[in-house]
Amino acid sequence: MLELLLFAVPAGLVILGALIVIFAKNPVHNSMGLVLTLASLAIIYITLNATFVAMVQMLVYAGAVMTLFLFVIMMIGVDKPEQTREEIKGQTLLVSGTLFILIGLVSFIVVNSGFKWDLYFPAVEYSLEGTPDLIAASLFTEWVLPFEIISLLLIVATAAAIALAYDTKVRKPK
Amino acid sequence: MENLLLVIIFLPLLTALGIKIISNLVNELLLNFLTINSALLSFATACGMFGLLLTDKFKPIHLELFTWIPSPEILFEFTLDGLSGIMMLLVTGLSVVIQIFSTSYMSKDENYSKYFIYFNVFVFSMLLLVMSGNFLVMFFGWELVGLSSYLLISFWSKKQSAAKAGNKAFILNRIGDFGFLVGLMLTLNTFGTFNYEKVFSEVLNGNRESLSIIVICFIIGAFGKSAQFPLFSWLPDAMEGPTPASALIHAATMVTAGVFMLVRISPILQFSETGKLIIITAGLLTALIAAFSAINQDDIKKVLAYSTISQLGFMFIAIGSGAYVAAIFHLVTHAFFKALLFLGAGAVIHEMHHEQNIHKMGNLKTKMPITAAMMGIGTLAISGIPPLAGFWSKDEILASTFANGGFYYGYWALSLLAAFMTAFYMGRHWLLIFHKETGNDISQVHEAPKAMVRPLIVLGIFSFFIGFINTPFFHGLEKVLEETLHYVDITHLPEGITLIILAVVSIGAGFTGLLLAYLIYIVDILAYFKVKIPLKEEIKELSSNTLYLNKFGEVIFVKGMKSFSRKTAVVVDGLLIDGLVNKISSLFYNSSQKVSKSQNGLVRSYVVYFGFFMLLLIGLFIATPWVLN
Amino acid sequence: MIEVSTDWYLTLAAILFSIGFLGMMIRKNALIMFMCIELMLNSVNLTFITASKHFGTIEGQISVFFVLVVAAAEVVVGLAIIVSIFKKQSSASVDLLRTSRG
Repeated sequence: MLELLLFAVPAGLVILGALIVIFAKNPVHNSMGLVLTLASLAIIYITLNATFVAMVQMLVYAGAVMTLFLFVIMMIGVDKPEQTREEIKGQTLLVSGTLFILIGLVSFIVVNSGFKWDLYFPAVEYSLEGTPDLIAASLFTEWVLPFEIISLLLIVATAAAIALAYDTKVRKPK
Repeated sequence: MENLLLVIIFLPLLTALGIKIISNLVNELLLNFLTINSALLSFATACGMFGLLLTDKFKPIHLELFTWIPSPEILFEFTLDGLSGIMMLLVTGLSVVIQIFSTSYMSKDENYSKYFIYFNVFVFSMLLLVMSGNFLVMFFGWELVGLSSYLLISFWSKKQSAAKAGNKAFILNRIGDFGFLVGLMLTLNTFGTFNYEKVFSEVLNGNRESLSIIVICFIIGAFGKSAQFPLFSWLPDAMEGPTPASALIHAATMVTAGVFMLVRISPILQFSETGKLIIITAGLLTALIAAFSAINQDDIKKVLAYSTISQLGFMFIAIGSGAYVAAIFHLVTHAFFKALLFLGAGAVIHEMHHEQNIHKMGNLKTKMPITAAMMGIGTLAISGIPPLAGFWSKDEILASTFANGGFYYGYWALSLLAAFMTAFYMGRHWLLIFHKETGNDISQVHEAPKAMVRPLIVLGIFSFFIGFINTPFFHGLEKVLEETLHYVDITHLPEGITLIILAVVSIGAGFTGLLLAYLIYIVDILAYFKVKIPLKEEIKELSSNTLYLNKFGEVIFVKGMKSFSRKTAVVVDGLLIDGLVNKISSLFYNSSQKVSKSQNGLVRSYVVYFGFFMLLLIGLFIATPWVLN
Repeated sequence: MIEVSTDWYLTLAAILFSIGFLGMMIRKNALIMFMCIELMLNSVNLTFITASKHFGTIEGQISVFFVLVVAAAEVVVGLAIIVSIFKKQSSASVDLLRTSRG
């Protein structure tokens, strides 16, 4: 019972947050919806024994990334309400077509396999705890090269962001 | 001994090459020396070979040069028998005489050496034609003769009319060559060989399939080369060439190649009744049309051209009625007196400083007596007055036609009419040039130089006496051709009193024609008796325009071809083919325009495309195993 | 009792992904499209963690780590681009960026 609840509530919140993201009008509301989604996902991670990842998610995603989003919303000042009428020709048709195919595909698979996802490999009995030492043991030995590379990636991204947003006309003439 | 044949045939070719090489180094005198001596050498060798043949009772002498294709077996071979022997003598002999004449006629011409090169090439090709041992070598000679004729007709190539005449001759010849070529192909297909003897023996043994078609194809070839109806209009235009060349080519040798060829294939011709009927009808039509057109011509050479066409018609009549010996006899006699007439005309033209209209001449016999006498002999010969050559041969043709009986009587009567017209226009020709007193200024004219007069005298003597080689009393030519025409059904002359009556009738026709010409043109009897011939002007117009046949041909063939090709160029090429290509390219363009509309630069539509097609792909992967089950 | 098996988590991830994709297609605002991208990335993260639990290895969580870092870097650069674009045009609509049309 507890397990079910522990799954159902965060799952529901995730979906609710996602729907808020795509359907809200005010951008700030969108951001809040996203924060809700991310937090609920962190809870789900904890139920899946990935504790370290959950913490990192809360810190990085919900903390830093969303703050960035809010900063940009404030800076740009997205005031104008968005037009809801679709301007691109044929877009509505294609979107509905895609959704149709998606739903059809999914129901087809589900119905065919008897409401059970057919996973080829059985689950293991005892799964690992996602503790920091376990992650570190693997991250700094087997996966050390990607680790270094993504730190390089972060530096490059920062430099790129500065280069992109740098305003060359800021200097006042002497 | 057979290898001497090679000397006869290839010596003119070597002479032509020699002249080409040394043409810039020597002057005219040395060139004359070279070419006339080589012609004499050819002629002497030819006489020798003919003598050899004579002693051997005209059994054919074969010479095989090399095997060209092993299977089906096609050799490069030559045959010397009675028929090719006669032609060989004729060609080489006339070559000597006419080349002597040309050295004087063509002197001071800027293309002197070129003339002799072309002349020798022509002699070579004609010898190749007559001495061939199979159809293929004959075809080589056939084509080369056409080429040399073209080169000689358009010799003064800067003149527009000469170039056009050369083209016309070659094209009409080509139409005939097409028939010859189809005939060649059919021969190879039916008999598997080109050799004369093999083909003839096969036919005589009973293999007669597709014989009519082969014969008709060869007949078309003969029509083109020998200027029969409807392929004759090139010959009057061919008078643009130098007169001695016309004498050799269009009087004696090239145009008789058709006659020669038909006599050569007489073993197979005799079995095709359709072929013989076509030949005799076309020959008669040609003879009549040409004789009618010659009545009112103004040019001295055009009269002779139409006369040649008409006499060739006579030869074809002879072949059509089965009198092959008579055809060859007339060929030989006609060669002599027509060459004589042409060379005489050449002398007159040369002395009148290239004036060719006979109405501007008159009473030339006082100034050029020898030429006038020789031309007179030629005119009498062609009119069929005994004992000159033309009488014997023409009479033999008419008698043989008569001897066939049935509807051939009609042919005989019409041929007699053609003979009468021949005498009439030739009489008019000689009288207007040499006898009639007109007021034209001829004080500057004098006798032609010796190099021109002597050949005339030689030819005159021959025209007088050559008829005696095949009289009803001494069948010399028939004996010569006996071996060649051994298996051929020859029509013989009627016997006894019929022959004499026929002879008298044809002499009468000749005399009447000459007399009428004298009366009308000299004594002017029509004005005297105030006889008004109805439609006189229209008849004159019809005659001088060759019954408007030339215009007819021009409208239908030339203009028709031009408009047809223009229409093809515009419709087929412009609309259909270009249109198709344009449509394909515009199809590409339009379709790419439409497809490029999907590249609208919007992120959202790209996202949609991405998702849509990826879902389709996944669905394909999932659905396929399910469908296969 | 109904057991919460791996399938449910995968289903949740799929639904989250679809919602993110749908949002990408529908919304015109660049910032909100970016948020939808974040949704999709998070659904992938969820799938990885689920797989890690299912197979009993730690590889899944390490992959999540990497995805997280890359997503953060991407957000940085993307927002910089959005800012610099929207300095030029005052509207936030992505439909006005049509220069690469064919």
